[in-house]
Amino acid sequence: MIKIDHVSKTYDAAQALTDINLEIAEGTCFGLVGPNGAGKSTLMKILAGIILDFDGDMFFNGHGVSNERMFIKKQIGYIPQDICLEETLTARDNLLLFGHLYGLSGKKLHERIEAVLEQIGLTNRSKDVVLSFSGGMKRRLNIGCALLHEPAVIIMDEPTVGIDPQSRNSIFTIIKQLKAAGSTIIYSSHYMEEVEQLCDSVGLIDKGRVVEGGQMQELLERHGKPSLFISGDAIGPKSLEPLTAMKKGDGYLVNSEDPMATLEQLIASLRSQDIKPKRLELYYPRLEDIFFTLTGTQLRDV
Amino acid sequence: MWAIAQVEFKKKIQDKGLWFWTFILPVIFIVGFVAIFSGQEGVEYTEIVTQIIPGYTVMFTFFIMISIVIAFVKDRENGMVARVASTPLPIKHFFMGKWIPFMILVLLQIAVLLLFGVLVYDLPLGDPAALIIISLMQAFIATSWGMAMAVLVKTENMGIALTQVIAMGGALLGGLWMPVEIMPDLLQKISRFVPQYWGLEGYKEIILNDGTIIDIWQHTLILFACGAAGILIALLGYKRYLKQSRS
Repeated sequence: MIKIDHVSKTYDAAQALTDINLEIAEGTCFGLVGPNGAGKSTLMKILAGIILDFDGDMFFNGHGVSNERMFIKKQIGYIPQDICLEETLTARDNLLLFGHLYGLSGKKLHERIEAVLEQIGLTNRSKDVVLSFSGGMKRRLNIGCALLHEPAVIIMDEPTVGIDPQSRNSIFTIIKQLKAAGSTIIYSSHYMEEVEQLCDSVGLIDKGRVVEGGQMQELLERHGKPSLFISGDAIGPKSLEPLTAMKKGDGYLVNSEDPMATLEQLIASLRSQDIKPKRLELYYPRLEDIFFTLTGTQLRDV
Repeated sequence: MWAIAQVEFKKKIQDKGLWFWTFILPVIFIVGFVAIFSGQEGVEYTEIVTQIIPGYTVMFTFFIMISIVIAFVKDRENGMVARVASTPLPIKHFFMGKWIPFMILVLLQIAVLLLFGVLVYDLPLGDPAALIIISLMQAFIATSWGMAMAVLVKTENMGIALTQVIAMGGALLGGLWMPVEIMPDLLQKISRFVPQYWGLEGYKEIILNDGTIIDIWQHTLILFACGAAGILIALLGYKRYLKQSRS
């Protein structure tokens, strides 16, 4: 269990994080979601032991970060948002470096390097310099460097930024393997779909505060009452009256406590106006909608 | 620490620019200036080579500061410092691991340039123990000042500019380009406050006067004190450097 206990952080006069409280169960994947500048990376760096001057505390299975930092660092694999590799060296040299930094050596280190190269799909390119790699390959190696010491907790700060869909899928496969192996994963992203797909629980963060959190399904059910989505040429707020509609994409969302009854009412109303919609369906809100409802901010606004 | 040192050393070996600055350019300067001054009447050949070879050796050791600054600024900007900070490696080991390769490189540079002097110009070397001590001190001061600058400057360009001031200004005032004796009185006095002067005079004492460790104690002490001051500044500035790198 990871417990983040009243964590706050300021940069000079700017408040980056305010009283963050979260609990992450062992062996689960936790998604930290928020727009750019929300404080995700700051929290990730605090978790990884990079930022040391913050208020509050954190506990990894009962071990406090403030007292047992070195012990905790051995349990963590941190994958930063930026690709942090020695680009003029080979993939193997990079893994050797990070293996040594995590205290591995000798036969064990070489065995782990082979295993990680296999896991990230770079066995055939292990002797090539990183400079010759594609963005996706660099990202995978960036992940591999944090997996050598088989950490119990893996902190991933936006690991799929700026890569092609194929590499993204490949990274998802790695994450799913890690989850299956029982690792605890803390995954930050502003890509909602990724978090919904990978994570068991989630924390929504905005302007340095956690605005909502919990199990993914519970959260979606709590805030995710289905509404009706309707689109078409003649569809607009007037044609939908007396129902209240909110613009979404090329259509409108009609919120209702009883969507089935509203659907009947809507169909009757449209028939009477002789309007044929292009699409009319039940819409289940996604994380992005919940975030917008709670903060009034689109995740890609900032 | 050794893993960091090994990687840094590998990177330096790959850096052709560094090879040029460290070995090729000093050799070109030595060959050029020995050729220019050899034709002068009334000046002994030994005097010329014992002035020019150690002089340019001392001057070019300070150019390592550029490489140190670039390495540290890059590590700060590409997030490597932050990433290393997330590992169990004590941060002082990272600092030492970065420093050691530069120290080795400068010692190698001194050895190559002096050996070049011996092979090409019959440069006498004098007492090996004294030579090793003064060379260690010379490498210590050049790298420690480089470390100090690396943690203080904000950009590579700022570091390069300051290195030029220290290397060139120090060379001019320290008598590396021309013997101190022919400089005006005031400059001769100023030169004693420049570490380059003590480096060159140390080498000259060993090479020209068969000086031993005892004869260069003052030079050694001054170079060590200046180097220690550099390390102290580097250690004090390192906290700020880390803070900038981590956020």
